[in-house]
Amino acid sequence: MSSTEVPFKISVSDDQLDLLRKKLDLVTFPDELENAGWRYGAPLSDIKRLVARWKDGYEWRAEEAKLNEELPQFTRDIEVKGHGTLNIHYVHKKSEVENAIPLLFVHGWPGSFIEVRKILPLLVQASPNGKFPSFHVVAFSLPGYGFSEAPRKPGFAIEQHAEVGHKLMLALGYNEYVTQGGDWGSAITRKIALKYGGKYSKAWHTNMASGVRPTFTSHPISYLQYLVRPFTAEDKAGYERTMWFQQEGRGYFMEQSTQPQTLGYSLADSPVGLLAWIYEKLVNWTDGYPWTDDEVLTWISIYQFSRAGPAANTRIYFEYMHSKDAAPGALAAGMPTIPMGVSRFPKELAVLPKSWMSHTYNNIVFVGEHASGGHFAAHEKPELLVGDLRKMFGKKGPVYGVVTGKTGYVRSKRGAERAKL
Amino acid sequence: MSQTTSASNTETPFKISVLDSQLDLLRKKLDLVTFPDELEDVEWRYGVPLADMKRLVARWKDGFDWRAEEKKLNEELPQFTRDIEVMEHGRLNIHYVHKRSTLETAIPLLFVHGWPSSITDVQKILPLLVQTSENGDFPSFHVVAFSLPGYGFSEAPKKSGFAAKHYAEIGNKLMLALGYDEYVTQAGDWGRLITYTMAQIYGGKHLKAWHTNMPGGTPPNFTSHPILYVQSLFEPFTAAGKAERERRIKFDREGRGYFAQQASQPQTLGYSLSDSPVGLLAWIYEKLITWTDAYPWTDDEVLTWVSMYYFSRAGPAASLRIYYEVTHSPDGPTGSAKNPPRIPMGASYFPKEPGNGPKSWSRAVGNLVFESEHDSGGHFAAHEKPDELVDDLRNMFGRKKWGKGKHGPAFGVVSGSNGFQPEST
Repeated sequence: MSSTEVPFKISVSDDQLDLLRKKLDLVTFPDELENAGWRYGAPLSDIKRLVARWKDGYEWRAEEAKLNEELPQFTRDIEVKGHGTLNIHYVHKKSEVENAIPLLFVHGWPGSFIEVRKILPLLVQASPNGKFPSFHVVAFSLPGYGFSEAPRKPGFAIEQHAEVGHKLMLALGYNEYVTQGGDWGSAITRKIALKYGGKYSKAWHTNMASGVRPTFTSHPISYLQYLVRPFTAEDKAGYERTMWFQQEGRGYFMEQSTQPQTLGYSLADSPVGLLAWIYEKLVNWTDGYPWTDDEVLTWISIYQFSRAGPAANTRIYFEYMHSKDAAPGALAAGMPTIPMGVSRFPKELAVLPKSWMSHTYNNIVFVGEHASGGHFAAHEKPELLVGDLRKMFGKKGPVYGVVTGKTGYVRSKRGAERAKL
Repeated sequence: MSQTTSASNTETPFKISVLDSQLDLLRKKLDLVTFPDELEDVEWRYGVPLADMKRLVARWKDGFDWRAEEKKLNEELPQFTRDIEVMEHGRLNIHYVHKRSTLETAIPLLFVHGWPSSITDVQKILPLLVQTSENGDFPSFHVVAFSLPGYGFSEAPKKSGFAAKHYAEIGNKLMLALGYDEYVTQAGDWGRLITYTMAQIYGGKHLKAWHTNMPGGTPPNFTSHPILYVQSLFEPFTAAGKAERERRIKFDREGRGYFAQQASQPQTLGYSLSDSPVGLLAWIYEKLITWTDAYPWTDDEVLTWVSMYYFSRAGPAASLRIYYEVTHSPDGPTGSAKNPPRIPMGASYFPKEPGNGPKSWSRAVGNLVFESEHDSGGHFAAHEKPDELVDDLRNMFGRKKWGKGKHGPAFGVVSGSNGFQPEST
């Protein structure tokens, strides 16, 4: 089967916009407790304000046009073992630097391909004096998200998403590449590193690598260290954040990983329900990021107008929890060997001591630590994230030249020599 | 008849009367329904099947007659409202069913529902409970069933922190206000925690015995219950114990998503359930099917149950908060084990009840004097197995027949109202 690329522009139909308007006109809001703040979920005043904006003021057509301008998009068919052919939507932008490093960006939930929006120009940018490397960037919509087709059969888990990402890079002519991912993108790029690492994927970077707590049997030295060494202030803050997420923040995970279809009826039928479901994460998972209402609504619209509808995206949780990857000890049992880079942000959802990362991750060659930022690193802290990638892959970095012949710099004689090392 | 405390008697007869504008809005929303996609051949594995939803929504749009259902409910369930003052939360207007037996000395019984139930849960057992026996074969009951605050047509709490002891206070004050200084209770789901708490606080003085179809419990410890502790060690090795354990593990793994969400971010979920009747239908219907034992729900039955949430006074979001409040309260969802209730307790075990654990756990909950095991039935016992549940209550509170055998273990707990004609000496 030939995988022919077709240029793509987001073009939501007038019917969809009309239906949305009709539903918003009929919106029924819940009550709320006095002084509830954020304790019980997204506050009523926030949601009312966002809905008012959505009804009047928010211009989807303008946002759509902007997205199409900024993000060159395409679709092509990709065959996935056991699942037939899926039509995959993706962003692809090449740097003017010919030997830029091919980089696959993988989003998660409730993210989308638009998470690449801010880092894209920085990544493809050519450095005037060869100060930093450039990247060719590919960012696909996970099947069931954005404008990618959704899987039709059960069992489409991390391995299958990884297969899509990998095959896409090969189809685009990038036999060797690197990856960047957070949220599900972290699990998926980890799987890519595991399955395709060495030969194809040469190095991987993630902003979500928490590791696991050592036990005496699993990591005796680490465990003993953890007993005697006092926690730093950062460790303590990270621990509190991690505990908050475990105790108050996992309801969505529990529902989406067990009864996603039941939830799906709400998300498909109520734009306001979908808005609240996602908005809560946009605020809780970020570090005081100053979302504008339009920014939020654009993020939600990608879900509202997604090709497969708002229910399909939740299934990745179910598939993952019912796959071998979720079995206890699975992470520690199979670790990638290719070089890995991590960026740590204080408001990520699981923030554990740095040393614990080595319990489930191998060959960590780069760690970038930051004093602010949360889960959606590419959106909240694009300069910091790109800064880390430039350090990791740059001339002085630990994996400079890891992709054969593609150092990310304009090729000079010296550069060509170094690249061969 | 004692008239107690709180506000003056504000009892007002009540009939459910949903506005035309509410029905109209519902129709408009149903006309715009957008269904999700679905994976091939998955049936119930990922949640409610699309075919079920489409069928139910089609019926809801055309065929389901809410006005007829409303009329039936009003006919079968005599309803009232009254104000009840609750510690720390001010006055709440409480909606309840109250039906007296023709027998003056019937046993006053408070029925407490849970989620996703409502007063519809008492519909089938009500006529059986108030029924009198010509030959004095079984006891008769006066029945009270209130809508929990935030459910049905009861007002919802306005402030944080409305937890078990507050619901318990309402139950007790309502019974006292109705002139029932002593009474018994029957409950499952949240009603179980609420009546457990009532038994702890008001047990002996007002609440004289309590019965539950979801005894639940926590693992007994050796110091407080040495025999039950030993029993709990052997339970997993019996056939019944193995089956129970598998069911419990499966439920913990696959069936607690709703609980986790409702106990942590109920408001977030509330936007969906308020705005989309179809979303609400799916959310509740999933439990009506998965928590029952092949109960043959008709579509209209399902839609009536869901309508009680859709048209509730406070809206569907308010009903979720009990999960958050109780989970964040010091005693949690099972209640404090520190002060176990001493009044007589009855338990009915139904095999498909997801909220139960091993028998040893249930036996450690309180002063268990009555147990009844059934070979079919699930979580909504009063709705699925009304005859069996009422039989259990009749046996628990019953009298020995023709001078033979024994009285029921809770016979005569309510002074002067044992459910039978007073005998001439």
